[in-house]
Amino acid sequence: MDGLLSVSGLRKVYEGSGRRVEAIRDLTFTVDAGELVCLVGPSGCGKTTLLKCMAGLLTPTSGEVLLEGRPVSGPPPGMAVVFQEYGRSLFPWMRVRENVELPLKQKPLTKERRRELVADALDSVGLGDAAGAYPWQLSGGMQQRVAIARALAYEPDVLLMDEPFAAVDAQTRADLEDLVRGLWRDRGITILFVTHDIDEAVYLGERVLVLSASPTVVQEQLKVDLPAERDQLRTRVAPRFAELRTHVYEQIQAAKRGVAGA
Amino acid sequence: MSGGVRGGGVKRLALRLLFAVALPVLLVAAWWFASAGSTDVYWPPLRTILTTFPDVWTAERLRDDVLPSLLRLLAGYVSAAVVGIALGTVIGSYRRVRAVCEPVLEFLRAVPPPVLVPVIMLFAGIGHTMKIAVIASGCVWPILLNTVEGVRAVDSVMSETARSYGITGAARLRHVVLRSASPQIFAGLRQALSIGIILMVISEMSASSNGLGFTIVQFQRTFAIPDMWTGILVLGLLGFLLSVVFQLVERRVLGWYHGLRASSRRS
Amino acid sequence: MKQTHIDDVRPESAPPRRAGRPGLTNAALGAAGLAGFLVLCEAVPRLGIVSEDYFPPLSRIADALVTELADQAFWTALGDTLTGWALGLAIAVTAGILAGVVIAVVPFLREATASTIEFLRPIPSVALIPLAVLLYGTELRSVLMLVVYASFWQILIQVLYGVQDVDPVAEETARSYGLGTWARVRHVLWPTALPYVMTGVRLAAAVALILAVTAELVIGAPGLGARIMIAQTSQAVPEMYALVVVTGLLGLLINVGARTVERRALAWHQSVRGEVAV
Repeated sequence: MDGLLSVSGLRKVYEGSGRRVEAIRDLTFTVDAGELVCLVGPSGCGKTTLLKCMAGLLTPTSGEVLLEGRPVSGPPPGMAVVFQEYGRSLFPWMRVRENVELPLKQKPLTKERRRELVADALDSVGLGDAAGAYPWQLSGGMQQRVAIARALAYEPDVLLMDEPFAAVDAQTRADLEDLVRGLWRDRGITILFVTHDIDEAVYLGERVLVLSASPTVVQEQLKVDLPAERDQLRTRVAPRFAELRTHVYEQIQAAKRGVAGA
Repeated sequence: MSGGVRGGGVKRLALRLLFAVALPVLLVAAWWFASAGSTDVYWPPLRTILTTFPDVWTAERLRDDVLPSLLRLLAGYVSAAVVGIALGTVIGSYRRVRAVCEPVLEFLRAVPPPVLVPVIMLFAGIGHTMKIAVIASGCVWPILLNTVEGVRAVDSVMSETARSYGITGAARLRHVVLRSASPQIFAGLRQALSIGIILMVISEMSASSNGLGFTIVQFQRTFAIPDMWTGILVLGLLGFLLSVVFQLVERRVLGWYHGLRASSRRS
Repeated sequence: MKQTHIDDVRPESAPPRRAGRPGLTNAALGAAGLAGFLVLCEAVPRLGIVSEDYFPPLSRIADALVTELADQAFWTALGDTLTGWALGLAIAVTAGILAGVVIAVVPFLREATASTIEFLRPIPSVALIPLAVLLYGTELRSVLMLVVYASFWQILIQVLYGVQDVDPVAEETARSYGLGTWARVRHVLWPTALPYVMTGVRLAAAVALILAVTAELVIGAPGLGARIMIAQTSQAVPEMYALVVVTGLLGLLINVGARTVERRALAWHQSVRGEVAV
């Protein structure tokens, strides 16, 4: 049960002026090395809180997060996060290249190695030509690609993605989903992908974790037994895809009503 | 010039140049002719003022009066910028420090800077130190308060991004906090520049033996009216030139910000 | 000056805002800071860190302030300063708005005046001091000349910014409905420019005080500035500090007042709403 990333008994309670809000009650799950796991849950279920606890940006009230067996107490070096708000997560005063390079400067790397990593990461998201542009000169989808390139260049053990495509249009979103699938297969990185979109979770994930409404627990874990080769057209109309998404949909409805997993 | 900007491009450029030059030329001409036959002592003909100009503003005078003024302005302004940005960053970074300092800063900022002249004269006499101290202590508040605002307003997602990638300490300050606050800091630096010029002039008018302000008041007191007018022109020109230099620097440092604003305006 | 240009999506489980308490603690911390500052002002000269001749302890400044407040001449000086400030500001605001709207409405003027404004604006108003002395001596008009010149540009520039911000779609809609120039100014241009104008007034109010005091200090026009200069030359150091404190309080009052007016007048406007909410 000890995968690459493991969350056990995680609980987060916000306290303030006599009000207590229990965002997460009791979460336990693991992600193995090389897995692509999607976390899906009803809106307001504490997905972002969970992600921030895992990324070491928030301290849980109780329970712990382990990365390679070591407890996470601050942002661990082996983890990269892609945020939903690409426009606020890229630094507008830096060109694309500098944005990708900045985190690498905190690592003991030679200048040549840094350059190599930056160029390679930008190429693999298809933005090799945009290195000299400022992020705000790019479209929303391209900005999110830059954010993904920045995470790739950092060479993390685990890549956390917090509803990364919630703010881009549908067409771009489909492209970006395929990009993430492709990167995962080519590079063998471990990805934990948080989303509120059921279709996206089923299409992307090898495994889907359904969260309950807040206070959050894991409602259900589901293996996605779709073929590894996925395609926006065919996969989404496959009968198995429909079954899976219906199942997840029902689980989330049940979660909203507060019924325990069937 | 590139091939594309021909014909209509040149015409447009010429028109813009015409627009830029027309009114100033018109105004100067109006001044020239309106004052041409003037016998009023206080309003000498522009012609007289312009012919006096090279006699008054000789290389020697530039060295002995303009240069010291500018050096004092520079010294005061730079020290205000260093202190203002450093203190502002500290105060802006900690919520509690900010809460403690806010009322006092609000008061100190509200004191009209020129009243610092008599106060600082008490401490520092009437030498260079006094003038530099006056300029620095007047310029520091807009820079300080704007830095506090800018540092405080660093976007939460940006700061979490920085944290999650291990960008902390000096790197965070240099690449994230100060850059993100730079538009606000520049707004403060701009306000401080005009305050600095005011203080440079009046500190010299109040007590000095050289400098621009001193020279101009000297002309006025000795009723060298055309000379005084040339002094007013020099001060005006100086204000304009300093503002141009400031804009050039700002455009360089904040190029990204103007681009960002323009792109978010379009969308 | 916000950089949030995509939809500001709050994380779904944002921690509940701690309403009430921070405001209270902030006020307490602020009061503590102020108290500390006052204690420092008393202790530094008492302990001999700075000579009492240059910086008298706070209690002596307070005594001097009380004496000042009982003096009719002080109130006259305060009145003079306020008159110069208010009159100068009023003239600058009126002239700035009129000039701004005229320039905005006539597209030809907008281009024709741009370079002249860019040149005249940075000219320091203190350059006019010798001229003011020659023409008006220590009269109120000297003060007004400096105050109006300095604050006029603040207003004009803001009006022009505001006009630039007019939504072209709104402008075209108004045109297509056959609204005349005056109606367009009133219903499209003015409401858009208003927040900018209010910012201009706030900035100009502060600048006007600075220049009013400058004129009094340097030219000797009657007012608080002249009184400070007299106190300084006659070595009445505590009185001088008391007057400096008064100008500071005056500035504070003007800043706070202008900000309140700005917020009240624009309660509906988003930019202000955002600022208050944060």
